[in-house]
Amino acid sequence: MKKIEFIEKIEGEAKLHFSFQNNKIDFVQIEFFNTRNIENILKNKSPLDALVINPRVCGICNHAHLIATVKALEDTIDDIEISQKAKILREVTLNLEIIQNHFKWFYLTILPLMGLKQDVLKAMKPSQLVAKAIATLAGQYPHNSYAIVGGVVCDPTFIEIVKLRNYINDILKFFEQNMVQADAIEMLNCTNSQKLFAQNGDLPYILSKLVDSDMLTVGKSYDRFIVFGENSYFKRGKSIKTRVSKTIDEKFIREFETPNSLAKSVQYKDSYYEVGPLSRAMLNKTPLIKDMHRRYGDAMISRIVARVCEIPQLLNHTLYLVNHIDLTQPSYIKPCIDIQKHSGMGVGSVEAARGSLVHKVEISSGVIKDYHIITPTQWNLSNGSRDNLAIAQKAMVGLKDAKLAELVFKSFDVCSVCTTH
Amino acid sequence: MSKVKLIWLSSISCNGNAHSFLNYPQLEEFLDNFEFVYHPIIESDYSLCDVVHQDLECDILLIEGAISPEFKKCDEPIINTINRYAHIAKKIVTVGTCATFGGMFKHSGYRYTTGLHFVEDKPSFLFKSLESKTVSISGCPIHPEVLVQTLYAIKDDLSLHLDKFLRPKEFFAYTVHNGCVRNEYFEYKVDNHNFGAKEGCMFYDHGCQAPYTTGSCNKILWNEVNSKTRNGEPCHGCMDASFPRFDFFTTKKNMGIPQHLPLGVGKRTYLTLAGVTKAFKIQRFEEDMFSYSLNK
Repeated sequence: MKKIEFIEKIEGEAKLHFSFQNNKIDFVQIEFFNTRNIENILKNKSPLDALVINPRVCGICNHAHLIATVKALEDTIDDIEISQKAKILREVTLNLEIIQNHFKWFYLTILPLMGLKQDVLKAMKPSQLVAKAIATLAGQYPHNSYAIVGGVVCDPTFIEIVKLRNYINDILKFFEQNMVQADAIEMLNCTNSQKLFAQNGDLPYILSKLVDSDMLTVGKSYDRFIVFGENSYFKRGKSIKTRVSKTIDEKFIREFETPNSLAKSVQYKDSYYEVGPLSRAMLNKTPLIKDMHRRYGDAMISRIVARVCEIPQLLNHTLYLVNHIDLTQPSYIKPCIDIQKHSGMGVGSVEAARGSLVHKVEISSGVIKDYHIITPTQWNLSNGSRDNLAIAQKAMVGLKDAKLAELVFKSFDVCSVCTTH
Repeated sequence: MSKVKLIWLSSISCNGNAHSFLNYPQLEEFLDNFEFVYHPIIESDYSLCDVVHQDLECDILLIEGAISPEFKKCDEPIINTINRYAHIAKKIVTVGTCATFGGMFKHSGYRYTTGLHFVEDKPSFLFKSLESKTVSISGCPIHPEVLVQTLYAIKDDLSLHLDKFLRPKEFFAYTVHNGCVRNEYFEYKVDNHNFGAKEGCMFYDHGCQAPYTTGSCNKILWNEVNSKTRNGEPCHGCMDASFPRFDFFTTKKNMGIPQHLPLGVGKRTYLTLAGVTKAFKIQRFEEDMFSYSLNK
């Protein structure tokens, strides 16, 4: 039996082509459409133009595309000097973007899938505070280009630092009053995830619904994780089950076309890997998530908890970063080479909300010759064949109905516009 | 009182306008007065394919993204869906620069890509008969306040004063330069010599398009706190019909004079003023206002 499910409100749309045998999904193809050919738009433009074009890949993770772009461009210049202050500011604004995404995903996407009403106001109260915090440093949100080759354009004073601290504390309060009614930091260091289930709050409520509907083991994939975007918080490397290896290289990433979809599939050394908050927690060995994984493996529930619990982790770390900004350092150091006349190749990897985002650029005599964007959703939602299923396919095969498969699919936090860019 | 029914249709877009809209501060109040029959993020009673294949009730049709006859949603050309709802709706609002002028995604390679009524600053005749119903809101993305205020004005039946691109003059009759905190440096021709500084204007060397781009960025601040030019980033002209002009960080010049002069300012006027300001140096503008660092 065949069935086509049209999935929407995932920053665009996708189609799932299910094939059933003995009342179980035995194969599913993932189809994305509506490409915008961003990589072509970039060709023959000035390298700095990529800083303005690339945020337009995506309305919800535009900032990750900006930071990946600036890193790729800077990678083309040997010995480029970036002040510690500029590095911290970039990390702060990117962390904030991840945080707003997770709030939106939980209240806008997950709630309706669990039979509850979407809560726009709960999604947007913290997300608007996040957007204000980003705009304080970056001018506006979404779609700024405040990171430029050599640093950042802003020149913050203590006024901005105090504002940032207060926004972050307000967001943390929202989390502790709504999502999990407990001390967030204590909770993250807790090694027994069952304590989380016993708390009050919107996350434990969703967890109890998953328990009641017997969905603790649903949505397992290969237990194979990868993280490319290293920073002061996230660790780079891959993890297979719990075995971690630190040495990975972007040169082993392979993008390839698959039939029936405009999205390219992605492998690392010929294998599919999961990216995103669960992968990051596996590499970081976050106590709470490690315990979730020990109990439920890479099931959907682990993915949900990993994503939501990244919010307080990142808020806490971002506050630490803000408190360590040295305002005496320059925001921008003029590069020794003018990139608008330069030739070279560069790679920029960052952790975006949904996982590793990789940008690759080739510049020749001051114009972009070639540009490749590999997005997190491409990793998770590659379109593999029956004998070599990709991450989300593997998580959906074996399930009984298409609606449950949609929940598993969306637990990867799908971004359609990014996938087809 | 019944709520105003909205259908938000996304064409060739990045979803940036849909997210920017969600940053409207009084969202609860807005949702008490308006309801989405369809929105790409907000939950609705109807699916996208319901919208495409049925004739649903709709007071205002919102269109996001560039439009091409080649582009389909739910296997139906988007122009058919636009045409159907354009006739059902009382008003049409183009949301963002792509839907208004073609914007970034007129370069995506689809055939005959256009905004609803304009391709850049030229008229596009695909939907000529709908012009009297349309209000344009440009911006990449739109400013949430500008969109929402316009929707309230339509709801309250106010007569909107529109510019030649059908944009409400309340938001588009002045330039982005208006309200920029770097105006003193502009007046005395002091460029921002380095990025990452509070001081300096970016019009002369860094490609800032604010003096010739109309928009409210520095009057109605972004996220209620800041703007690109206040923050030290040149305006990229994202509200303008010409967006994207590319070469965003360089001021194009002919014989030392910027190719694009401030809106309405003639070359002779500009040269006369430039001559005068060049004749003197104001020490205050040559120095940092203050600095945390000694070797900036």
